[in-house]
Amino acid sequence: MNGIHFRLNGKDTCYDGSAADRLLDVLRDTYDMKSVKCGCKEGECGACAVLIDGVLVNSCCVAMGAVDAHEIVTVEGYRETARFAALSKAFADLSAVQCGFCIPGMILAAEALLSKNAHPTEEEVRTALSGNICRCTGYNAIVNAVLNAAKEGDGLW
Amino acid sequence: MVNGYKPTTLQEAVEIKSRVSVTPYAGGTDLMVRNIPDAVYLFLNDIDELRQITQDDAYIRIGAAVTFTQALDSDLVPPLMKEAISRIAAPAIRNAGTFGGNLGNASDKADSVLAGFALDGRVRLVSAKGERVIPFDDFCVRRGVTNIADDELIAEILLPKEKCALPYYYKKIGGRSALAISRVAFAGAYEVHNGVIQAISATVIGEGKFTRYREVEATLIGKSVDEVSANADAYAERFIEKMTFTRGRVSAEYRKTVVTNLFKDYFASMK
Ligand SMILES: Cc1cc2nc3c(=O)[nH]c(=O)nc-3n(C[C@H](O)[C@H](O)[C@H](O)COP(=O)(O)OP(=O)(O)OC[C@H]3O[C@@H](n4cnc5c(N)ncnc54)[C@H](O)[C@@H]3O)c2cc1C
Ligand code: FES
Ligand code: FES
Repeated sequence: MNGIHFRLNGKDTCYDGSAADRLLDVLRDTYDMKSVKCGCKEGECGACAVLIDGVLVNSCCVAMGAVDAHEIVTVEGYRETARFAALSKAFADLSAVQCGFCIPGMILAAEALLSKNAHPTEEEVRTALSGNICRCTGYNAIVNAVLNAAKEGDGLW
Repeated sequence: MVNGYKPTTLQEAVEIKSRVSVTPYAGGTDLMVRNIPDAVYLFLNDIDELRQITQDDAYIRIGAAVTFTQALDSDLVPPLMKEAISRIAAPAIRNAGTFGGNLGNASDKADSVLAGFALDGRVRLVSAKGERVIPFDDFCVRRGVTNIADDELIAEILLPKEKCALPYYYKKIGGRSALAISRVAFAGAYEVHNGVIQAISATVIGEGKFTRYREVEATLIGKSVDEVSANADAYAERFIEKMTFTRGRVSAEYRKTVVTNLFKDYFASMK
């Protein structure tokens, strides 16, 4: 069996490049998933976060070989869901987006939290987003948006 | 797979390790930041037997590819270890980072290694030829250097159950609240019977290496806990005089002051 086989936003995908290639680069350059941002390549900023089997991981810290036989979701896939719609509305209602660079990572970090804990406290939201750096908003609007999405999207998670 | 091997059993993995030059890869959170050119990885992340947390009569056994998040969700992992790993980085790193990677990386700031030292942890190393179990003290030689042979993989860390149940003390001091590497951290566990100290460990991040000053620890055994906690300054000094502090991101004096305060706080908190 050659190549690296994985599911990307629900589609069976085979990558023929090096197993040592960085998932972040491959998602952006080979599969055109431009929601996945590169802010540091050091695991520090969370802008490159994706879900692997539903778990939040920084794609800059993942080599392609590790994702063989796993399932990756980026915002390109996630945006088709009702959960995304609830988060998107809450972020818009609370003006939680400024430049937008950190937002794909924030959205997936919020999904990772809410899928484990549908009714988080503010403290739990802050912990869940603690690996995602935002240089614009000052965080409070984002935290409130996640809390609002949990409330208004009750039953979705 | 080009430039990679992805075994599904430990046996297969150690056979590959004995034949070809590969870099073990667990969570990638150290390796991918280091960005090794032309790396050929031995992916360990889908080997089930390395992903288990189990127990036997003597030990809590944590597989080398168990992630910190998985350990935080487990009832078997002792509170001292949980406290140490809960302060590592942020969720996305804890979801990927592993115990084997924390040891294998040979950093002097590895938080799970500090807790493992305080709990008298052991490392199980496996090769195609056999296996050995060695104390953390013997595994960690110095910063950047471990006692692992070329053909070996870390399979598990073993935490003695009698140590896991002891009262403990843990503090991590970093530069900020999330995503902070330890500038100084302290872990200790102790056993008291009828007011008398039966066993004690005390170990720090901040010296540039992991060490247990067992001969100093031994001088506290048999002392009354009230006496030690009332004279915390003097007992702290017994350890500090053995230690050397060097400049890193923070000054040597800063490290020494903080470590001294943590020793005092540890002894003063004992009951
Ligand atoms: C942003 C950020 C913040 C961090 N914060 C902290 C922190 O606060 N505290 C802390 O302690 N660490 C921290 N780290 C470091 C890192 O996350 C940990 O050291 C983690 O435990 C590494 O595990 P891994 O599985 O990702 O290792 P990998 O990157 O996969 O491997 C690390 C090393 O161990 C070797 N290795 C892995 N598994 C084995 C095995 N089974 N047998 C033999 N060798 C093996 C690899 O070859 C490599 O040399 C941080 C990292 C990042 C990127
Ligand atoms: S680009 Fe991956 S965490 Fe910053
Ligand atoms: S909105 Fe600009 S970085 Fe967060």
